[in-house]
Amino acid sequence: MRLLAIILLLIFIAAGIVFGALNADLVGYDLGIAQLRLPKGAALLGAVVIGWLLGGLTAWLGVSMRQGRQQRRQSRADKKSPVKP
Amino acid sequence: MNLVLVLVSLVPIAFVLGWWTSRQFGARRSGAEVSALSSDYFRGLNYLLNEEQDKAIEVFLKLAEYNRDTVETHLALGNLFRRRGEVDRAIRLHQHLVSRPGLTDAMKTVALLELGEDYMRAGLLDRAEALFCDLVAMNAHAPSALRHLIAIYQHERDWHKAIEHARRLEVMTGEDEAPMIAQFYCELADRSRQHGARAEARDYLRQAFDCQPDCVRAFMLTGRLLSEDGQHADAVTAYESAIQADIAFTPEILPPLLNSYARSQQMERAEVFLREMIGRYHGVSPVLALAHLYKERDGERAAIDFLTTQLRQRPSVRGLMALIDATMDKIEGEARENFLILRDLTRKLLEGQAMYRCSRCGFGAKAHHWQCPSCKSWSTIRPIHGVASE
Repeated sequence: MRLLAIILLLIFIAAGIVFGALNADLVGYDLGIAQLRLPKGAALLGAVVIGWLLGGLTAWLGVSMRQGRQQRRQSRADKKSPVKP
Repeated sequence: MNLVLVLVSLVPIAFVLGWWTSRQFGARRSGAEVSALSSDYFRGLNYLLNEEQDKAIEVFLKLAEYNRDTVETHLALGNLFRRRGEVDRAIRLHQHLVSRPGLTDAMKTVALLELGEDYMRAGLLDRAEALFCDLVAMNAHAPSALRHLIAIYQHERDWHKAIEHARRLEVMTGEDEAPMIAQFYCELADRSRQHGARAEARDYLRQAFDCQPDCVRAFMLTGRLLSEDGQHADAVTAYESAIQADIAFTPEILPPLLNSYARSQQMERAEVFLREMIGRYHGVSPVLALAHLYKERDGERAAIDFLTTQLRQRPSVRGLMALIDATMDKIEGEARENFLILRDLTRKLLEGQAMYRCSRCGFGAKAHHWQCPSCKSWSTIRPIHGVASE
């Protein structure tokens, strides 16, 4: 399973490099405050990576905040009625 | 297709993929931890239920090692160590728990309470007392701490402090501790009586009656004080009141009562009282007392007739022994030898018998104790009713 994942990852990296090389021509972006000129392939990969990282970060933050809330609630309950072993 | 449109549509797709990957990774990691924890926990619990405490301790120790935040596991381990008699390990564990930084106040006080119990078990009563006093002062687990303090003061026979803390417990929990406090006053009264401070003893007895108006022990001690002062008629009244308060203590009360009847020359009153007792009380003690009275007054024949009639109604080894003793003088030859064997047999039968039993924990005793030596509860040791006992 792990070997398959590594092979798939290598294939995607190779595809990314080939994709970048094939689309090396520059494209201009006007962001309002600044103007950027990036290769087409890099822009595509960048969009995918930024989106993936943002999604991961959102999920991680959601889980950690929920756990924090639960711990605070538990400690309040412990103070009210301490556990007698 | 416009490149910007492709980029804009790729970002949310990648976002969803990233979100999904993170959730999957997190779920797998916490799931692995929970399953490892819960399987170990249930394994430990299983060992506990199977009374295999050694293996349970091993499992819980491992659990506490890789999950150092599990205070409950440490507490359970400490309890196990204490129950197994490994008090030094329990003390070390609870001390470590108390000194751990970041522990909530509630958990720290639970650990302190446990540490106090460890000290008590180890016989370090001064340390246990200091801990429990701190807990009472902090108003944390105060009822439990007060109960332990009362137990310590009872052990040290410091009855004044025991009374003070029992009253605090009464106020705190609303439970009626008056019978226990009355016993403490009786202990003080008995000590004063032994030291010759009779006025002080009477004062303590008055306070015992204030706590529990039908306190048998207080009535008995009053009777004893009066009897020692030569006021036998008043002593008779006190002893009779003791029997009225709790008829179960008849075997304990009858000997001094009969002595007071004899000294105050009220044997007719004794007969009336004992006859009434036989109707109400199903033990053999009043029968034996009345048989003795008949023997003194009407002679051996009357006593034997009375005993025979009563033993048919309530068979008893003690009664049989009294009958054998009474008839022994009238028998000679081979029958006498047989009676001697029978008497030895009944004596041996009675020697091995527990005459009293605690109604709370079942502790058996040959002599009467006001406080059960096993469960430490008061006034729960009562005569056993049966053919071989009362």
